[in-house]
Amino acid sequence: MLARGSKPRNAPPRRRRPRWIAVGIVLLATPLLGSGKWARPENDDLHYPSRPLGPDAEATLLPPPPIDDEYFPCGDCHEGEPADPERRELDEHDYIELKHGDLWCLDCHDTMERDLLHLSDASPVKMEESWRLCTRCHAKKIPDWRAGVHGKRTGNWRGAKEYRTCVVCHDPHSPLFKPLQPKPPPIPAAPFNPSAGAASEEVSHEGL
Amino acid sequence: MKGSEQKKNTEVTQTKKQAKMQDSRSVSRRNFMKAAGVGAGALIGLPRDADAFDLEEYFQDHFTELSPEEIERTIERLERKYSKKYGKAVTVDTTGPNDDVLFGYGLDISRCIGCRRCVYGCVEENNQSRDPQIHWIRVLEFDNDEVIRNINFDEGDPFYDHEEAPAPGKSYLPIACQQCENPECVKACPTTATWQEPDGIVVIDYDWCIGCRYCIAACPYGARHFNWTEPEIPADEMNPNTHYLGNRPRPHGVVEKCTWCIQRTRHGRYPACVEACPVGARKFGNLLDPDSEIRYLMEHKRTFVLKAEIDTKPKFFYFYG
Repeated sequence: MLARGSKPRNAPPRRRRPRWIAVGIVLLATPLLGSGKWARPENDDLHYPSRPLGPDAEATLLPPPPIDDEYFPCGDCHEGEPADPERRELDEHDYIELKHGDLWCLDCHDTMERDLLHLSDASPVKMEESWRLCTRCHAKKIPDWRAGVHGKRTGNWRGAKEYRTCVVCHDPHSPLFKPLQPKPPPIPAAPFNPSAGAASEEVSHEGL
Repeated sequence: MKGSEQKKNTEVTQTKKQAKMQDSRSVSRRNFMKAAGVGAGALIGLPRDADAFDLEEYFQDHFTELSPEEIERTIERLERKYSKKYGKAVTVDTTGPNDDVLFGYGLDISRCIGCRRCVYGCVEENNQSRDPQIHWIRVLEFDNDEVIRNINFDEGDPFYDHEEAPAPGKSYLPIACQQCENPECVKACPTTATWQEPDGIVVIDYDWCIGCRYCIAACPYGARHFNWTEPEIPADEMNPNTHYLGNRPRPHGVVEKCTWCIQRTRHGRYPACVEACPVGARKFGNLLDPDSEIRYLMEHKRTFVLKAEIDTKPKFFYFYG
């Protein structure tokens, strides 16, 4: 039995790797680091303040829906009041259905500046820029959104486009998209629906 | 935009084709009959702009073989006819394709909620008949348990009617023309009334369609629809911005289909269904542009096409976002 790390007696002598290999690797990697390929990107969306979220110069960012005047600015009621950090059933705001992971109010709403939101590092975020907060957990959606594959785009496929930030489509308190009443079903064609009459469109042979 | 450039391109193509035609037959049978017909009409005193029977319309050539002057005359006649019928200024566009564009479509089936907003957005934009009803888009409903194994179209229900969509345990697959690269419908047409444009859109010349419905039988996706009677569009709901190969009002007895809103997309706009979709599941763009959203989703998402095994090569890509 050999001790750990020791060499078998008859093993060929290990050749030491020439040092120039290590030097070569460093030399080769240096331009890559310098070019930014391996370097940490600066001003990416995960850092605040970041560059504008708008994907390109031609894009119009549609504003988030206005917040109800009855409840905003929050400071009207909460001014000077110390925030109670304890999770609890609220007496107010019963219209809010909170179904957003395991989050609670003060995970996003700021404890001190009551009209603002905050990131996990306590840096403040304006209500209108709530997307900065969303990207902290949902960073994977940013490239898709920037490319126009997540979220709705309107306008032109070639030319000016309209984009929406997260809260235009998702209720931040309950972000899952809500069901809608579907538009009426097509009128079944004559073979399936005697009341449709002979003039109805033929679908019986549209065997899919 | 490049409207004038596109038009110029079309005109150049038209002129070349016309020159070729004239080389091969200086006095064709069709031209002779046309001249004879118009002459006879003049002799018996038929008004040139009679609505009931238009000689010029009757003897009109295939759209791709019309000279620029003939196209202009045809468009003028159609605009006059439609404007009179619907009581508003209707325009008929003939903008041609761009050289650097090949259209592609993406649909995120993990987002579609089956609300049918796209169906009715399409009907309004494209002047589909309200009675009898024609829908270019059909939304099929599947049981999640079934669709997770295989999309079997026989199990898809287009007639679902719920209070709310998505219904629990159901998923949805909207289906319309797949704008195939290898379109069976085009091969089936005996009169070349339907063809594929250079930007990939399969179009129909409604004035050249004889209503044989071979294309309906040939289409594996059920995407073509026939006007069994005179289509009915309420005048106040009629969309006056039309394209000759797209959403202009169709006559009785011709086939129609989705053209990816040719009247919008040839001018750089998104199709109506893309704008109608409340969840942003519908994506549209230029397959030749590496920065387009359609290219992004093809490169980054899992995509599939319907009935890939029959080699129609659809340019309509379903994906999981």
